[in-house]
Amino acid sequence: MKVDLVNIGKKYEGRENFTIRHIDLEIEDKEFCVILGPSGCGKSTLLRMIAGLNSITEGDLLFDGKRMNKVEPKDRDIAMVFQSYALYPHMTVYDNMAFSLKMRREKKTVIHDRVIEAAELLQITEYLYSKPSEISGGQRQRVALGRAMVRKAGVFLLDEPLSNLDAKLREHMRVELVRLHKSLDTTSIYVTHDQTEAMTMATKIVLLDDGKVQQAGRPSEFYEKPANLFVAGFIGSPTMNTFPGVIEKGLFKADGDLFTVEPGQEDKKKLSGHEGKRVVMGIRSERFLAGKAEKNGITVEVDVIEMLGKEQLLYCKFPNGKECVISEPGHFKYAIDEEHNFHLDTQGLHFFDEETSGRIN
Amino acid sequence: MSGTKEKRLYLSDRPPLTAVKVVMLAISYVLLFFYVFVILWPLSQILFASFNGNHGSYLQIGVSFSFSLKHFEYLFGETYFLNWVVNTILIALATALLTLFFVSFTGYAYSRYRFKGRKASLMAIMLIQTIPSFAGIAAFYTLHSIIVSIAPWFSRQMFLILIYAGGGIAGNTFILKGYIDSISRELDDAARIDGCGNLQVYRLIIMPIVRPMLAVIALWSFIGPFLDFMLPSILLNDPKSYTLATGLHTLINDVRNMHQPVFAAGGLLTAVPIIVLFIALQKQLVSGLASGAVKG
Repeated sequence: MKVDLVNIGKKYEGRENFTIRHIDLEIEDKEFCVILGPSGCGKSTLLRMIAGLNSITEGDLLFDGKRMNKVEPKDRDIAMVFQSYALYPHMTVYDNMAFSLKMRREKKTVIHDRVIEAAELLQITEYLYSKPSEISGGQRQRVALGRAMVRKAGVFLLDEPLSNLDAKLREHMRVELVRLHKSLDTTSIYVTHDQTEAMTMATKIVLLDDGKVQQAGRPSEFYEKPANLFVAGFIGSPTMNTFPGVIEKGLFKADGDLFTVEPGQEDKKKLSGHEGKRVVMGIRSERFLAGKAEKNGITVEVDVIEMLGKEQLLYCKFPNGKECVISEPGHFKYAIDEEHNFHLDTQGLHFFDEETSGRIN
Repeated sequence: MSGTKEKRLYLSDRPPLTAVKVVMLAISYVLLFFYVFVILWPLSQILFASFNGNHGSYLQIGVSFSFSLKHFEYLFGETYFLNWVVNTILIALATALLTLFFVSFTGYAYSRYRFKGRKASLMAIMLIQTIPSFAGIAAFYTLHSIIVSIAPWFSRQMFLILIYAGGGIAGNTFILKGYIDSISRELDDAARIDGCGNLQVYRLIIMPIVRPMLAVIALWSFIGPFLDFMLPSILLNDPKSYTLATGLHTLINDVRNMHQPVFAAGGLLTAVPIIVLFIALQKQLVSGLASGAVKG
């Protein structure tokens, strides 16, 4: 099912400002759309509005072109997985999964078949007759997924479903969820604050902050072409290094005379309108190349080293105290308090207007 | 060999007792046994007195014991005891059911809905329930005469039920609201998406979860009419319509009709319905009382 949000806004009772406003989104049929954002950005509100648990203050919500604003949650053809799983504690796993179908007065044989089918797919047939309190967190998570699956709904809504699992299980469930999405053949809308989940699972990411869509698109676009400084800082770990500075004669000069960079040919063209103006240059940690070069070089002192095995993160300091993070292959030899030379890969530079924080190149 | 070795292992999680602690522990036990004695001694006296045929109209100290059921015979033969039992159980059941019914709605509504005057009305309920129901006796009389003029079949017993239930609804609304507050709202949301309406959310999801607390409320409401003497003694005027408390009181408040051992026997039997209900609800009650203790 195709989900369209047209100029959607939400204002809670008793609040002065809109929590989210002017949200325009098109989620295509069978897309895995992740709504990403820091806590308090309104992403859960948006999902709950799609589910019908929160009312829509302004704008239109369309499912396959039909306006859904005033339709009851149960009639929207949706299924939802909650962060706390929200399993009914007094019912067995089987009854939990069968509940929505029972409410729809499906035939008993149909209910049984659907529950067993979902249970087999999620490998929870062993626990079908246990109460939720008797099974582990990971199993509860599967039951919550199963409960949503049996509905065979047009839209699958997930509200931070993995945040209560331990790291190992979360990694496993990420893959499993993508598999599930494929086999269910539905539209999935997934809310999370975890950029790894977003980058690995989504076919489309929507990054929300401050009640507005900061960027929407494919995961790779987010990493390679962040639309503004917020996106640049939010996506990617370690966080992108940013240096404020000015453009002088086509060259970028970082504040405090840290270094001067000559951007690549294409970047130069786009920067030509910003001659003499203030900009912010961003560079990801892996775009620092080890060794001295004729131009675009920096000299920094290594402050802290985080050894991750295949790579190491060097937390470095410029002479004036400005910090930056550089990642280098793990087998390179570095030691704390040493001075080292690096140079910047001009293919990996991001330029943002300091005033509007929008992307330039 | 290994058996004796295992016996020597100190398995308790507490540090071993010192001499001082042993003495303190002994004192604790002495106090506890004294307390048990204080409770059980009068109860045992009631038990003995009701079966002791040597007692006359008065309970006497130092009378020898001879087993007899004559006090019970008197109770069932010469008094309206069975009427009182039936009256009390009917009133108690009606009170419990009425309280449960209304508290279910009020507790759920106050916990889950935001509406104008929610806080104010909650405060009002809290304040009003601090006024003892006895203080409203004049209002009760006025109301009663008004209601009877419209519906003559409305008996004084029904009025008593209304008073008990009305008093219980206020306080129990708070208790149930607090309990429902502790249930995640995501359950409501999930149920709504699964296809429940408002009442179905309560009936199918919330009510089964709060059942322990409902059991506690039911028990409290049920016990109330058994214990209360004041209201029925004022409101009820026909000995046949008395409840147990007022009925049994007639056996000890007048010299001409003084039967203290019969009163003891009646008191003993009064406990039976409450015990039966308690056993029936036991499974729910234990978890209900425990969780109620934490959640207040």
